[in-house]
Parts: sequence; structure tokens; C-alpha cells
Amino acid sequence: TIPVGIINLGTSENKLCFDLLQKRLMRPDMLQIEPAFLQYPDWKGHSFLREEVAKFLSHYCRSPKPLKPKNVVVMNGCGSLFSALAATLCDPEDAILIPSPFYGVITEDVGLYSSVKLHHVPLYSQVPTGSDVRPFQLTVEKLENSLKEAKKEGLNIKALILLNPHNPLGEVYSSEEMISFLEFAKMHKLHVIVDEIYMLSVFNETDTFHSVLSLDGLPDPQRTHIMWGVSKDFAMAGMRVGMVYSENRDLVQALDQLGCFHGVPGPTQYQMAQLLRDRDWLNSEFLPENRRRLREAHSFMTEELKKLDIPFLHRSAGFFIWADLSKYLSEKTFAEELSLWRCFLKHKVLLSCGQAFSCVSPGWFRIIFTDQLHKLKLGLSIAHFHFSSCILVVSPMEWDKM
Amino acid sequence: MRLHQGILQEGYNQYHANKHDEHSNPHGIINLGTSENKLCFDLLQKRLMRPDMLHIEPAFLQYPDWKGHSFLREEVSKFLSDYCRSPKPLKPENVVVMNGCGSLFSALAATLCDPEAKFTIFHNVTLPYYSEFHVALQLYFYLYIIVLVQPTGSDVRPFQLTVEKLENSLKEAKKEGLNIKALILLNPHNPLGEVYSSEELISFLQFAKMHKLHVIVDEIYMLSVFNEADTFRSVLSLDGLPDPQRTHVMWGVSKDFAMAGMRVGMVYSENRDLVQALDQLGCFHGVPGPTQYLMAQLLRDRDWLNSEFLPENRHRLREAHSFMIEELKKLDIPFLHRSAGFFIWADLSKYLKEKTFAEELSLWRCFLKHKVLLSCGQAFSCVSPGWFRIIFTDRLHKLQLGLTITLIHISVPVFL
Repeated sequence: TIPVGIINLGTSENKLCFDLLQKRLMRPDMLQIEPAFLQYPDWKGHSFLREEVAKFLSHYCRSPKPLKPKNVVVMNGCGSLFSALAATLCDPEDAILIPSPFYGVITEDVGLYSSVKLHHVPLYSQVPTGSDVRPFQLTVEKLENSLKEAKKEGLNIKALILLNPHNPLGEVYSSEEMISFLEFAKMHKLHVIVDEIYMLSVFNETDTFHSVLSLDGLPDPQRTHIMWGVSKDFAMAGMRVGMVYSENRDLVQALDQLGCFHGVPGPTQYQMAQLLRDRDWLNSEFLPENRRRLREAHSFMTEELKKLDIPFLHRSAGFFIWADLSKYLSEKTFAEELSLWRCFLKHKVLLSCGQAFSCVSPGWFRIIFTDQLHKLKLGLSIAHFHFSSCILVVSPMEWDKM
Repeated sequence: MRLHQGILQEGYNQYHANKHDEHSNPHGIINLGTSENKLCFDLLQKRLMRPDMLHIEPAFLQYPDWKGHSFLREEVSKFLSDYCRSPKPLKPENVVVMNGCGSLFSALAATLCDPEAKFTIFHNVTLPYYSEFHVALQLYFYLYIIVLVQPTGSDVRPFQLTVEKLENSLKEAKKEGLNIKALILLNPHNPLGEVYSSEELISFLQFAKMHKLHVIVDEIYMLSVFNEADTFRSVLSLDGLPDPQRTHVMWGVSKDFAMAGMRVGMVYSENRDLVQALDQLGCFHGVPGPTQYLMAQLLRDRDWLNSEFLPENRHRLREAHSFMIEELKKLDIPFLHRSAGFFIWADLSKYLKEKTFAEELSLWRCFLKHKVLLSCGQAFSCVSPGWFRIIFTDRLHKLQLGLTITLIHISVPVFL
């Protein structure tokens, strides 16, 4: 069957759990209206929500001590948080270090309003000789080199962004790795934004995710700011709710100033508080079933990729597989990668190509697996069908003319 | 980090930390400073608790069109066509929905002004003007807002806006080398409560057209006009705008629907490039899917709007306004007689030792110390010290309490 609409295997959203979510969100406790919900709020978020967020993160991040509500700021999504953090931590034209490949929209998030640049720390697919043990490995040495380079170019590096679990790699960093990155930042007095938005979307039992909030004391608490949101882990990107946790009082106060542009509706804040405190639903119904469906969809996708002999990173977090489609490129260039991407799109399959993530090696694609199996099958069969035809530099129509 | 503390922000934060409640916090701060309508909670709660308000579809939980879901943009265009009395039906494709009018101002500033120019100015000629977002805008941009300064002889009413003043201000700004890109008009006006006539509006729009300025017309109080004689005219009701590509009309639910906490605002513009540019920033100003659905339900519920909410809301506004002006008359406090919005623009300068902004701020702080939050003129860039914006859209007993406290503290000399 040829789809009429486009099959989206490019946008990172979890469409596997709508049934569970609809059931929970239609319960009567989701509809409540109090005067405060309809009035101008505290722009850091209603205190009842900040309290639930603090308790929730204390629990799921396994913090050694209870986290404090006053260190929480809630905004309408993590994109807004990146924008506001960039505006408050940096001046226009300042730069933030970020390992690449990385979720490309962050460039716009910090750039559009705040005019802050990203300076990439390139990670490579080949495992070179030396200290790397896996492809695209992030090390302190690479961070140091990038920082030196940036300073030579006259850039003013103010911060570092870490994504854990990682998008698009699906990487889950160990505590030791995270501590080494934080120590690096501390040494150079850089702020660190740790985006843990996929922290509950780790679906392999052996992979243990460690939040930086679980560490026994951060190296530099005044400069470490942890982000989470409901878009991924609660599969509700349309709710527009994200939060940041920071012990830095000045930062919290500064974010308050920008909060008026990123407010969350009162009734929505109430619903979120209800969800966050519903440990029964989370622990017995939603999280285990969600993880099971993630695992199942991931297995299906990895099996298909194996059948097609497509190399990919074996990871177990997030909604995507980072796959190497370079064998389908006539030449291993970004122009060819873009052609291949366009070819898929022409045939109604949306994927995300590596250059959208500033990957330095052409040919990598991020393939989303968090949709119903029949959609994945359809998307893959179309992609496969066109793999061979897409690599033709000359299209059949032009061939006829020759 | 840049830390700006606007006066309005300071009072707002103190209020949120210590809100008056007759039962749980009788010594908290009474808020007669923030412009929100607290008169209709009963009506709103009743409507918002109806079963049709809770609905979940897959699209509501997924990343949306950042201009707003099409079902909502359709309802917005029908709603505005109706209540703004547009000669032709308005088009959904010209609507952009964001999480509040502050966000719309921010996004419009970013899209209409040259990103390279560090000091690109919004020429806001409505003096005084609502400045809560001004401080915040300066964090996202290097934006400065100019306000009109001088009253002229031809004025027939206080704080009157005329094309002559616009022209003078523009000339002055150009002499200073400023790059004026746009004009902001607030109609009905905050804090003056002014409602401009069609002729006045057309003259302002013609002025803007002549100088190729964009115009942002903020009509957020359009349904909060409570005097029968005052007829509000939306620019969308005009038979053809002078410069449709540069005229952008804003509305939102914060004031007219008394739900500032919902965070929903919209802009209507025929300029396709602008709509596309706003789409780029929409990801920072998204409204939750379920909220968009709820709003669409409200906007299409003409029965509830026309039979229940709007008439009763207007009645309560009128009543609260009457009460407040009677009290001000008893105290011999001069004020502007207007009939739109939630506030009265009152002249408390007789209570200042000296007619200076320092004294005005002292008076403001004195009120706040005694748990009444008002808004003083300098927060609105008013050029004459002593003016205060007093909110009346709260229940009578709160207004009474607030006024009593205020009276006690203004009849004794104000000490620093």
C-alpha cells in the first residue's frame, strides 16, 4: 500500500501509549478549577506543582537528600527552558559547548531569542586507537581540545550542554563519566545544563541510568542545572511542560523574569501535579508498560535493520536508533545524504539525517521506532524499496531523455 | 546574568508570596495593582467544569502546528469575525495562537525588528502604557520603548493621543538616529481606559502607513467595555485597513474572559511572511493541546457567551466601577472618567509632599508596606508624577478593605 500521508519516523515522540494516557487523563481528578488557576501565576510555576516536581525528581532521580521546591522552575517545554537559560547564563554572541551529533533544534532554542551560539565538540563514528572504547564516545580530552580551539577563535564559552540519555545516540553515561564532565566544567567555571528528558525511557534492564541529582554532592552545584519534562517520558509532547532544577538562586530569579513568556496554564499545572504524585499509576501501570512497548518496538526495528545489513548503535534509551545508511550513498558526502533524505521524503517517509544533528560523518540517520508496528513496517518497506533506487544520481525520467 | 527589577514585578512577587485571603491569610496583601478580573470566577468555574471541557485526542498530546491547531485557528477567526464585526469573514490562516499576549509581543518584536540592529525601537506612543513586559523584553532583546512626552494645546482631553504627537515623536527619534520599525496602539487603553473612535484609529493607521511602520493593535480589553454609550470599534471592523500587510491585531482570553492563568493569546495578520516567521518562534510559546481544545469549545459557545457570561460580566464591571468612583469622589481624588478595562487612572499627587517620582515611589511603597498593592504612574512611564492605576475588578469587601487601608495612610503625611 502506498500511504497518502507521510509516515513520520523522524520526529522524536512516543506514540505507543496513547491508550494508557487517554484513560488516565480523562479521569475526573483531571478536571479542577480554582481561582488561582485562572489568575496570573508565580512565573516559576504554582507552588503546589513545584512541590510535586521536587518530590518526583527526588524519587526518580534518587537524590541522596530531598530536593527543594524553591529550586524548581516550570516552563512550557524544554525548548523554552533552553531559550531562557541561554538568555540568563549568557550574553548575545557568547557560546555554549555541545558534543555532536546532538538534537539539532537546540541550535534554534539558544539562538533565536538569545543569540547564543553552539560550539560543537565533534564525536566520530570510527573508534580510533587510543582511549575510545565505543563510537561517538565523549571524553574529557575532547572537551578540553574543543574548549582550547574555541578560545583561539575568540569565542566566549559560558556553558556546556550534556544530554543524558543522549539524543540521537541513545547513550546512557555512567556516573564516573558524568562526574568527569562536571569536573571539567568546574575547572573552567562553565555552567552545565544537563538535559535528562529521556531518563525514564531507558528500556533495557542492564542499563542503569544515573541522574546527576543522584550523585553525592555535585562538583559545582551553583553552576549545574538539570532539565526534565513530560514530552518524552510521559509521551505528551503536546502538553508543553518542562522543568529545571538548580540551586543557583540568582538563576531562579532571572528565569522568573522570563517566565511570563513561557507560562503553563493553571489547569494544566494542576493536572501535571496530579500525575506526578500518582505513584501507583506511574509505577504499576504506565512506566512498566511503556518500557515494555519501547523494548518491543525497538526489538522489531533492530531486527529489520539487521535483515537489511544496516549497521546501527546498539543502545537502550530513547525513541530512536542511530543507524549508518552510508552504504546507500553513491558518495559519502552530506550532499548525497541530503539527497537520500529527500528521496525518502518524496516517497512519504520522514527520517532525520545526520547533518540535522551536526554529525561530522555523512550517512547517519536517526530512525524513530516509537509508533505502532504496522506503521514501522510500512515505513521500512517503502524505505527499503527506495534504498536501491534512491542512490541513482540520474533519475529514470532523465535517463529516458539521454 | 542581568537582573532587572521592575516596580510592577517587585509588587507582584511580594503579593504572590503573601496573598490576602479572608479566611486563611487576613493580613496578606490586597492586590489592587494587577489588572485581572476576579468578579466572575463562579461563572467561569461552572462553564469550565462541564464535561465537554475534558477531551483527549492523540493530536493533543503530540507536537502541534506551532501557529495553533487548525480547529482552534478556525474558531478564533469565526469569533473575531463576529465580535470585531469584520465586514468580511476573517481567515484561519491569518491567525497565530501563543501562550499569552506577552509572548505575542515578544515574538512580534523579534520578527518585525531587524535582528542585526541592537537598538531597534518600538515606538509606543500611548502614554502611559502597560510596561510589565517591557522589563522582560529587555532580557530577550536590546529593545527600548519610546513614549510620547509632551501634551499640546490642541488636546481636548487629558493624555490625548494625536497624529501631531506621533509625527513629532518620530521626527525626534530619527534625529537621535533611532530605527523606528513599529507602532503599538492599545485600544481599549491600559491604564487610561480610553476607547478610540474609528476616525482616530484610521488617522493613526494612516500615519503609520505614510512612514511604512508596522502597527500592533492590542485589543485585549475589547469585550470589557461596560458603558452602553461607549462603542468600541475594532480595527478589524473598518472597511479595509490603510495598510493590511503592516497591521497586526492582538486579542487574548486573559482579560475579556477573565482567565489570565490560561495563557492564551492570538494575533490576526494578513501578512503571510509574518505568520511564517511567528511559526518559527511558536515552539517557545506553545499552548497545551487539551487547553487549545477547551478554548475552541468556549469560543464557539455563543449561547454561553451572549446569554450568560458577557452580559453578567459587564454588569459586574459596571457595578464595581461605580462603587470605586463613588469612593474616589468622597475622597476628592481626581480621576479619568472612562468605561473600559479593569482600572481607574487616578491622580493622587495631592498626597505627595513634593510632586516628584521619588515621592510617588515612596507612596507606593507605603501602600505596599501596609498590604495594599497599587500600580504607580512611573511603572507606566507616565511623565506626570502622582498618577496611580487602581484596579476595581475584585469583590466589594476587598475593595472596601483596600481603600480603607489606603485612606488611613494617605491622610497622614508620608514619611520616607
